[in-house]
Amino acid sequence: MKSYVVFCHPTHDSFIGSALERVLAGLERAGHKVRVSDLYAEGFRPELDEHDRKVHLVDHRQQPELRPDIARYVENLRWCDTLIMVYPTWWAGQPAMLKGWFDRVWVMGVAWDLPEGTNRIRPLLRNIHSLVAVTSHGSSKWVNAIEGETGKRTMTRALRFACNVRCRTHWIAFYTIDRASHAARVAFLDRVERRMAKL
Amino acid sequence: MHMRAVVIVANPNPTSFSHAIAARVQLGLESSGHQVTVHDLYAEGFRAAMTAEEREAYHGNLPVVDPLVSEHIADLQAAHTLVFVYPTWWSSVPAILKGWFERVMVPGVGFVFNEQNKVRPGLTNVQRLVGITTYGSPWRYIKTINDNGRRTIKRALRLSTGWGTRSRWLPLYGMDTLSAAKRERFLDKVEKVARSL
Repeated sequence: MKSYVVFCHPTHDSFIGSALERVLAGLERAGHKVRVSDLYAEGFRPELDEHDRKVHLVDHRQQPELRPDIARYVENLRWCDTLIMVYPTWWAGQPAMLKGWFDRVWVMGVAWDLPEGTNRIRPLLRNIHSLVAVTSHGSSKWVNAIEGETGKRTMTRALRFACNVRCRTHWIAFYTIDRASHAARVAFLDRVERRMAKL
Repeated sequence: MHMRAVVIVANPNPTSFSHAIAARVQLGLESSGHQVTVHDLYAEGFRAAMTAEEREAYHGNLPVVDPLVSEHIADLQAAHTLVFVYPTWWSSVPAILKGWFERVMVPGVGFVFNEQNKVRPGLTNVQRLVGITTYGSPWRYIKTINDNGRRTIKRALRLSTGWGTRSRWLPLYGMDTLSAAKRERFLDKVEKVARSL
């Protein structure tokens, strides 16, 4: 299996940084081929700017030179069968850095296209059969339910739409981290590694 | 005394329809006696991503590092009405606006802790919330994939303002295939709603 791991946290010295290590350990144990992108470390620009907007309806397959800084992410997205996102949940959803990665990388000709003569979008990442989120929430599951679980829905609905029609989603989340005991944190990290080995 | 209103605009194109909407919102609010501050996130060079330094400061006593963020906070804390105008991308707010929530709504601003160390709303001064967004997709598609921008503003944000805050949602679906007349009608509606706030 080919797993593409997207890590989004400003530092590795964090709980989510530890989760990344355990994700990689689990994948290695299961014999996956693995590629990793570290959005902060790579200096990814999350703001979709005026140039990006102007080329919004240009098929990336025809003019990849228009979006040079997304090339490596596009290549990895097309290569993988499993996409694993490792990030902290902020404001009920993916951090702006990761949201910007969706905005700027999952573009026309990469994630979707609009065939001539229709107004229906068609998914292009049909190679992706499994979408995985490994995330932590400061607040409780209950508060997240009130907030609407927007991060979960972005993955299980919006992103999944661009993937294979039979794509499965795995939501591996740790709630109420701000009040969690050391033992609960360790147990979660163990669970992360076990789940990776079973994907 | 004038009631204060803050309008947050998130669209990279300075001549966008979002900007046309913001201008009409401003007009409407001013005619109903509001003092309006417009923050155009792209024009101000607002940074989307929270930095390592800000992440560190988030848990301390002084969570704000960037003077531009301080300016936004001061405006927010004086606001009676808060309006967001943005295009919906990937079922939610643009990254620059997501980053605005993360970097502006820090502890002590978006929420405070009471004596029992329980989280309480920090922006109870905000009495009116308005979300205005444009979608490339039609209504049915939005309902299927979920509208996470709407949830962020009508639900998550009201944990910061309190549930007593009234919210209005003004969506424009299928934007790319709409006639000029329909767009114009939407602008009229936006101004009318703003005037009634």
